[in-house]
Amino acid sequence: MAITLNIHRTVADKKWVQEYKVELKKGMTILEALNEIKAMQDPTLSFTASCRSSICGACAVRVNGNAELACEVLVEDLVKRYKSETLTVEPLGNFKVLRDLIVDWDPKFDRMKKIKPSLHPKKEFSPEKGCKQSIADFKKYDEYAGCILCGACVSECNKSTVDEKDFLDPFTFVKAAKLVLDSRSRDPKEHLQAVIDAGLWKCMKCQECTANCPKGLKPAEAIEKLHEATFKLGLTSSVGANHAKALYDDIYNTGRLDESKLSIQSEGLVAAALRAPFAMRLMKTGKLDPFEKVPVNPEINKIRDILKNAKEAE
Amino acid sequence: MAEQISRRTFIKAGVAVGAAVAAGTYFEWQGNNIPAAVQKGTALYDVLIIGSGGAGMRAALEAAKDKNIKVAIMTKLIPTRSATTMAQGGMNGCTGVTDSKDTPESHAFDTVKGGDYLCDQDAVEYFAENAGKIIYEMDYYGYPYHRQEDGSFHQRKMGGSSHARAAYYADESGLATVHTLFEQCLEQNVEMISECQMLEIVVKDEKLSGVIAVDMRSGNIVSVPAKTVIVATGGYGRAYWIRTTNPYSSTGDGIAACLNIGVPFKDPEMVQFHPTGLAINGVLLSESSRSEGAYLLNKNGERFMKKYAPDKMELATRDIVARSIETEISEGRGIGEGLNAAVYLDFRHIPKEIIKERLGQVYDLSLRFEGVDITEKPVPIRCSCHYSMGGIDVIDYKTCATKVPGVFAAGECSCVSIHGANRLGANSLSEVLMFGKTAGIGAPAYAKKVGYVGDKEALNAALAKWNKTFEEVTARTSGPRVVELRDKMAASMWFKAGVYREENQLQEGLKEIDDLIKEYKICYVGDASRNYNTAFMNYIELGNLLLVSKAIIMGAIARKESRGGHSRKDFPKRDDKNFLKHTIISKVGDEFKTEYRDVVITKFKPAERTY
Ligand SMILES: Cc1cc2nc3c(=O)[nH]c(=O)nc-3n(C[C@H](O)[C@H](O)[C@H](O)COP(=O)(O)OP(=O)(O)OC[C@H]3O[C@@H](n4cnc5c(N)ncnc54)[C@H](O)[C@@H]3O)c2cc1C
Ligand code: SF4
Ligand code: SF4
Ligand code: FES
Repeated sequence: MAITLNIHRTVADKKWVQEYKVELKKGMTILEALNEIKAMQDPTLSFTASCRSSICGACAVRVNGNAELACEVLVEDLVKRYKSETLTVEPLGNFKVLRDLIVDWDPKFDRMKKIKPSLHPKKEFSPEKGCKQSIADFKKYDEYAGCILCGACVSECNKSTVDEKDFLDPFTFVKAAKLVLDSRSRDPKEHLQAVIDAGLWKCMKCQECTANCPKGLKPAEAIEKLHEATFKLGLTSSVGANHAKALYDDIYNTGRLDESKLSIQSEGLVAAALRAPFAMRLMKTGKLDPFEKVPVNPEINKIRDILKNAKEAE
Repeated sequence: MAEQISRRTFIKAGVAVGAAVAAGTYFEWQGNNIPAAVQKGTALYDVLIIGSGGAGMRAALEAAKDKNIKVAIMTKLIPTRSATTMAQGGMNGCTGVTDSKDTPESHAFDTVKGGDYLCDQDAVEYFAENAGKIIYEMDYYGYPYHRQEDGSFHQRKMGGSSHARAAYYADESGLATVHTLFEQCLEQNVEMISECQMLEIVVKDEKLSGVIAVDMRSGNIVSVPAKTVIVATGGYGRAYWIRTTNPYSSTGDGIAACLNIGVPFKDPEMVQFHPTGLAINGVLLSESSRSEGAYLLNKNGERFMKKYAPDKMELATRDIVARSIETEISEGRGIGEGLNAAVYLDFRHIPKEIIKERLGQVYDLSLRFEGVDITEKPVPIRCSCHYSMGGIDVIDYKTCATKVPGVFAAGECSCVSIHGANRLGANSLSEVLMFGKTAGIGAPAYAKKVGYVGDKEALNAALAKWNKTFEEVTARTSGPRVVELRDKMAASMWFKAGVYREENQLQEGLKEIDDLIKEYKICYVGDASRNYNTAFMNYIELGNLLLVSKAIIMGAIARKESRGGHSRKDFPKRDDKNFLKHTIISKVGDEFKTEYRDVVITKFKPAERTY
């Protein structure tokens, strides 16, 4: 079976979509298809890959609008999933494109620096003797250490699409959750305050990051854990706390964030007016439908639990 | 040709000696993380590290402890993509936390014996004494070690080890290593010159001037003056291209660059074939498969290791297991044929929870590429080139210095020599960290003592030469394609210098590689753009791999014995009388020269290696 790949190309300041055909083989991943095109048809097609075993994160691209690891996803499965022998391959969303499928990580790393991204160990620990940690404490954060920095989560993040400057990338929240939940940390607040300042409460709870993480890491859940930690550690004197109050009033009932109402409650009318363009942009990108009836988030019970915990902690 | 370097922080030091400007390239500085001194053109690196794997990042962190030392890491992808990211099983080091009977001496002995006595024992002792410390340090840096009841990290036993001494994170030990180090580098603000491929180390009259590299984004060729360079570019497994577990980037770039400045390539013939690569594509199934108890079965369902290593069975060292598998296949007890022949790896007797908890990656890879659920069916596997024991000749293990003053090497690209003729599982992560650290102390000390002895003219000339090369090779409109030559190279290497070797085949292989080197001179790259030209990158890598391949074969021809990873059918025995020696290959002009150097022996008298 011949498969058609429509690949979004960018070279210097030229942009176009180019059609390639490859013969489908058993076990062929998107990466193998790209390799074959580069080898046999067009050496100018550019992408990055390193491990070809889903661990280095270099090969993430968007296929038919969803972020995937090119080395992991089988062409055959995609053809079945989309019921089509034509697939569209694009660079990740919410990144600047450097060339073809290659994207710019610099701003991501700059933002990551904001959270003080390494462990600040407790005083009783030392480089000579290492640290101690119970198995149970290890289990509190261990899965978050499995992030491969592939960028699939941020590619589909709604908040980042609207404005990434006052927000962190979902994987950075994952890293932050790892550090905050690590019992070896001398003071989780050191990271947490930085995370709050960098936009913790601005997450729109859309769950796209969780849906797209190839490692099953649930960044949105990491964000919830950071919210909880904010209350547990008493870091509530900020816009974020007002934002959280808005979460009660608003989300408790529907499980969904009504961004317009929220801004008014948390930052006051003037601030909300200033943020109106934000809502406009949301509508433009199709993320907020002004005519939509607010449906109930299927995760509502979990959200309610968090809110309850938060209230108790207050 | 792109005339700007956008958003790159990096192309700094070229201006320091006026080299870049002299070549007629204009760099517009952008991004506020460029130190003002660099923008003004007054910067010069004390320590320039090439490669951001475990060795490179660990070296940088060590060097950066001294705030007066100016350090940067140059790397050809973004910093977190490397072979280190892929390591699975763990890192060895004697701490005694899990097995109180372990001692550094036992670690040293296992390493020497595993290496079939080709290791330099003074270096191994130094390594074994310090490897445990590295594990504690990583704990303090935030490594997410699996824990045991008393709160310490837990250590497990790997193939060829007589005690449990590998600390780990799931079967993603390297991922955790890289991200722990990267977090530290971010927090310490270690400068990254990323997406920048080193092309040449410039040395004139034994004096180091700096490095020439191509900025992938703009395509500008840049020159970076440095007082010292630490080469940490990883292994050369890609010489076997498709039958390797290595990432695409393990192309021996640093080794080739060193050969070109007169630093020899030590023991190039010593490559390790991992026994458990997926039959279909060479991708590695973790060593922990065997350490968690998986069985190797031939087509008759027989645990054939009982014939080859009755004591250790599946846990014997990699070279022994690899040869056992190839013997089973060649004697007709494998499944499938030709390149796709295989034996089985069987997990069915291991509890599902253990598979889920500790072998998640093995489970995923088997399912994806072979369509096998390992809890239900055995998975077909075959050997795959895994590790490069040989490498840049390091002459002082206490500083990682090479023969050329100011040029240091650490990690898989180097040969210290810890691993001798065969590396033990989990010895590499600790080696890269430990010797990364060692180089991170050795290089700054040298930089402080000697200062910059470089030559601005030499840098300028090299820069102009590479600009010309880029224009020339990318402008070609015909010729053999890079991938075509690459695939031919891989076939020559696998069939003529693979798991088993013999004289006639090696000689044929050598001729084939020589022919490919000729063809390479006229090959077709196919992309003339300066903007992120990965076709040019692959072209450079192929050139390096061809040099490396030639050295592998020359070393294999010279070593008329079988030892560790090197098995000659025509000389099946180890020959301590003639070959308790390192092969030292150097490049003189276009010719390669072979010499020998005696192995350093301290405590452990060479004995027959049985498991
Ligand atoms: C699948 C797999 C599993 C493994 N499992 C284990 C294990 O369990 N335990 C263990 O101890 N070891 C293991 N190893 C081996 C170990 O991972 C490597 O030997 C080790 O990580 C090498 O580290 P390094 O820092 O020397 O090089 P690498 O990690 O290979 O890093 C090399 C760096 O140099 C850069 N580079 C290369 N060329 C250039 C250039 N021209 N210009 C600029 N930058 C360049 C690369 O981009 C990369 O950043 C495994 C290896 C593989 C492939
Ligand atoms: S849940 Fe939050 S972080 Fe995740 S994609 Fe949506 S907005 Fe982004
Ligand atoms: S959280 Fe998941 S999707 Fe995001 S970078 Fe990490 S591994 Fe990739
Ligand atoms: S190539 Fe490394 S994750 Fe795909």
